[in-house]
Order: sequence, then structure tokens, then C-alpha cells
Amino acid sequence: MQFVNLLVVRLIQTILVVWIVVSIVFIVSRLIGNPAQSLLPFDATNEEIEAITERLGLNDPLIEQYGRFIVDAAQLDFGYSFHRTGAAIDQVGSKVLGTVKLTAAGLVVALALGLPLGLLAALRRGSPIDWLARVIAVIGQATPSFWLGLMLIFFLATRVDWFPTAGAEGFRALVLPAIALGLLSAAGFMRLTRSGMIDVMNTDFIRTARAKGLTERAVILRHGLRHALIPVMTILGIELGRLIAGSVIIEVVFSWPGIGRLMIESIFQSDYPTVQAGVAVIAAAIALGNLLVDISYRYIDPRIRTAEL
Amino acid sequence: MAARAAEATVEMRPRRRLRRPRHMRRWLLVMPPLSVMLIFLVFGIFADLIAPGDPGHTNVLARLEHPVFDGGTSEHWLGTDHVGRDIWTRIVHGARVSLIVVAIVVPGAAIFGTTVGLVAGWRSGKLGQLLMRYVDVQLAMPAILFAVLLGAALGASLTNVILILLVWTWTAYARLVRAEVLSLKEREFVLASMAAGASNFWIMRKQLLPNVFNTVVVIMTLEIPIVIVAEASLSFLGVGAPVEQATWGRMITEARNYLTQAWWVMWMPGIALMLVALCGNLVGDWLRDLLDPRLRNLG
Repeated sequence: MQFVNLLVVRLIQTILVVWIVVSIVFIVSRLIGNPAQSLLPFDATNEEIEAITERLGLNDPLIEQYGRFIVDAAQLDFGYSFHRTGAAIDQVGSKVLGTVKLTAAGLVVALALGLPLGLLAALRRGSPIDWLARVIAVIGQATPSFWLGLMLIFFLATRVDWFPTAGAEGFRALVLPAIALGLLSAAGFMRLTRSGMIDVMNTDFIRTARAKGLTERAVILRHGLRHALIPVMTILGIELGRLIAGSVIIEVVFSWPGIGRLMIESIFQSDYPTVQAGVAVIAAAIALGNLLVDISYRYIDPRIRTAEL
Repeated sequence: MAARAAEATVEMRPRRRLRRPRHMRRWLLVMPPLSVMLIFLVFGIFADLIAPGDPGHTNVLARLEHPVFDGGTSEHWLGTDHVGRDIWTRIVHGARVSLIVVAIVVPGAAIFGTTVGLVAGWRSGKLGQLLMRYVDVQLAMPAILFAVLLGAALGASLTNVILILLVWTWTAYARLVRAEVLSLKEREFVLASMAAGASNFWIMRKQLLPNVFNTVVVIMTLEIPIVIVAEASLSFLGVGAPVEQATWGRMITEARNYLTQAWWVMWMPGIALMLVALCGNLVGDWLRDLLDPRLRNLG
């Protein structure tokens, strides 16, 4: 019962977060002044501007505009794109798959690199592997992702022709963006796995597991790693948010067809509705991702299932 | 002062032989990154003396000139970019832009975040809860989204960058300072002051603030490379500093089209950025271990 209560509270929180973000989007949209000017040709008369302003509902009281904006946003209606044909949300919708693909690939890289390295580093402290892991962690955490992406392009796509420099054609095109995106999170996962494993391997139940004659493999994987992964689960939500946000930059670096690149292009085309829709969709995705991760790790670890939020 | 306090806690533990050499080794290890950060500081402050030329000066006759160690002349020792601007001059002046952003954002966010953290920790009831809920919302949302939004609405400007980074970095201070205050509140010296009738403001200023000071300094140091990278990322995307300003991010963006024919145009600012980010991190880690090792598991 408490678990259900908790779910409801977290769901309300998620909606609250999205609501706040959409409100910020509205406030910022009022900062740009009258979009009628950018919709009409330069030599438009005052009457024409006035007509458009009236049609867009910009003469209504601010609170009314805000209410309408929230109601529309709840139905995913952000108006028509200024630059492309069709609704802004459809522009964003057509790019969702690209961003999801990239983010998922980044997460796979982060986990596939972070967990084994962290595990090995913890089991062989002070060994060359531990050193390698630490160097990767420091570099991964310090290097800006866009610069990492450009270095990968330089060495692996222009010096040697192993991967394409841009675009999303085929599996090979996914490799470099996924690495550039995932390395930062890999460093985080690695550090937590390492410290978690070191803590766990000194506990009594590991000694018991060894004493009852389990193979070292079973001790490490079934008893040790499972416990070491709990802290990793707790930051999964944060890392997921980071990956989604990071994809904006990586998409620009690799000309990857996703929401991030669409948003940046739309900025330079003064296509404000598309930017709004993109920001709202990404914010909602992050909030939802956080919610799912939160629920799933509470489900996996009964001890924190009913703990404080 | 702070260093002596850290040493004192070390002395209280059973003396281990490894302690001292290890500290000294770390001292030696931190010298190179510390020097890099100092050079960055000097470049930023004295940019006009170190590279007196105009970073925006173009020369179509000297486009994509090689750096001096790759067959170029000493006139442009790091080469020139696609419109003939001197890369060395632009890097030095780019350091100035980064430094300005850091010099405003880091102390500004520290002051605001610490104040909020002190209040939220001291008044941990409704007010504290409300403040922390807001911090959580903001931590869940990446700065870049709002940078994109503001960039779209207001256009590129350095003021926007500073504003966005200020709004987005104060939460780190607030969260950690609040956590510290929550435990300090239960300590005897604070309880004694409360019993003696000290005002809230006096306790915060004289007792809480000095005790969270180390934590704040450590976070500030750790935030320096984060802010530098964030500024460069925004400039890279074109929502940072305006076009006419020489920034590392902008230089890297513009160099992308010349990647195959003129490697140095992209690599020079890239190396500068990578070096400063890496060294900033190393210095931050070192200071954290020295002043406040409990912060080690900070995300």
C-alpha cells in the first residue's frame, strides 16, 4: 500500500516538474516580443501586424494566454512551425526515434564500459587495470563531449576511414556518437561500481559465501556485484537525464537527425514553436526517465521500497 | 589555516608511516595542473599584453597558414584560421572570455547557493522543504535545454551565458551546505548559542558559515572546469557568446569544416580547452582530498 502511495506521489512530482518546465517555456516565449513580425515580410503594414497579433491571441490578458498555453501544451500543441510546414510537434515527433536510438546506444556504451572496468578495478586494486580505469574516469569526466566527438571524427573518420563523419546511415554511423555520448556516464558508473565492490567485498556475507565453498566467480557475481549495483541504479536516472541532454550536443557534432539538432537549427531559423516543442518533449522525457528508474530500483531493492522519497 | 586544520585531524589518527610521503607526492603531482590553471589566469587577465593584436583581425591573404612547427612562419606561430585570423591571439583572448564567465558565475553562484543552503538547513521546516523541492526540480533538468530556449528567445550574448550558468550552478552549493547545516545544528556549540539567546543571523554568520566554508571552497574549485566547459559547449552550439567574440567553443565550431585540410585550426583551441578542463578537475580533486575528503563521492 505504501508502495502505491509512493508511486502516486512520484507521479504527481513528475507532472509538477513538467508543468514548471512548460511554464518557464511560456515565460521565455513572452520575452521574444511579438512573433508576428518574424512571420510577416519586412514591409508589412501595421494593420497586417495587428491582424496577426490578434489572431495569435497576443492581445489577450497574460493570464489567459498562459492558461491557453498550458492547455495546448498538455495536448502537445505548440502551434505551427514558422519555418517548416506542419505543426511544430510533428517536426519534433519525426526526430524522436533518432534521439532515442542515440541515447540508448550511449547508455549501452556507458554500462558496457563502466561496469566491467569498475568491477575489475575493484578486484585488482593498484593493478594496471585499476590505473587504466582511473585514467579513463578522469579523462572521461574532464573532456567536453563535443570535443571528444570531434577528436573521434578526426582520428577514426578522417585519418582512417573506419567510420562515417556524419549522418545516421547504418550501424557504423552510430558507433562514434555513442562513444562520445557515453564516456562521461561510463566514468560515473565505473567509479560507483568500483567503490561499491570494494565496500561489499569486505562484508561478512561475502566471507560467509566464501566459507561455504562457493566458487570465487559465484561469490563475486552473485553476491558481490548484485549489491554493488544498487548505488549504480540510484544514479541511473541522473545519468539518463545527462545522456538525453548530452545528445543535443552530440547530434550537432555528428549531424545526427534528432531533436537536439532540430532545435539548434530552429534557433537560427527563428522557428520558435519548434524550439518550444523540442524543449518540452526532452524535459518530459527526462522526467519520465527519472520516474521509471526510480520505480524500478525501488522494486528491485525491497529495503528502499518504502523508504523516504 | 585550513591546511593546518586538515593536518591536525591527520595527526589525531594513529600515525601511519605512509601519510607524509603520500601527501608530498600529491603536492608534486598537483604542481603541473596548478601551473596550467595559473597560466590560464594570467592569459585571461593580461590578454592584451600577451597577445596585443586584434583577435578579430582578418587577412584573406594569410588564410589557413601552418603553425611554425608544421612549416609555417613565426609571424603566426600557431597558424591562422579560414579567414586569416591569428589563432594564438584568439586563444589568449578566448581565455579572457572563459575567465570573465568563471569570475562572475562561480562566486555569484557560491554566495547565492550558500545563503539558500544556510536558510534551508536552519529553517528545515516548510521553508527548507520548499527550497529543496525546487532544487530537485532544477537538478533534474539540464542547463542546456534552457540555454537553447533563452538563446532562441534573446539571441547569443555573454550576459545570457552568465545568467544561465548562474541560475544553473547555485543548486550544488545549496544542497551540500544544507546537508552540513542540518548536522551542525545538533552540535553543542550551536545549541549553547541558541540557549544563550543568540540571534539566528549571528549563529549563521559566526558559527555555521565558518564551518561550511571549506565545503564551499571545494565546490567552487570543482565548479571552475564545469563552468568553462559549459561556456565552451554553449559557444560551440552557437547559443553562447556572440559571433564577434573570440571563444574556444566558437573557434572549434568554425574550424569543423576545415578538419581535413587544416588540422591546427580545430586542435589548438581544442587542446587549450581540454588542458584547462583536465587540469581544473585535477586541482579540484586535490583540494577536495586536502580540505574535505568526505565530499569524495560527490556526483
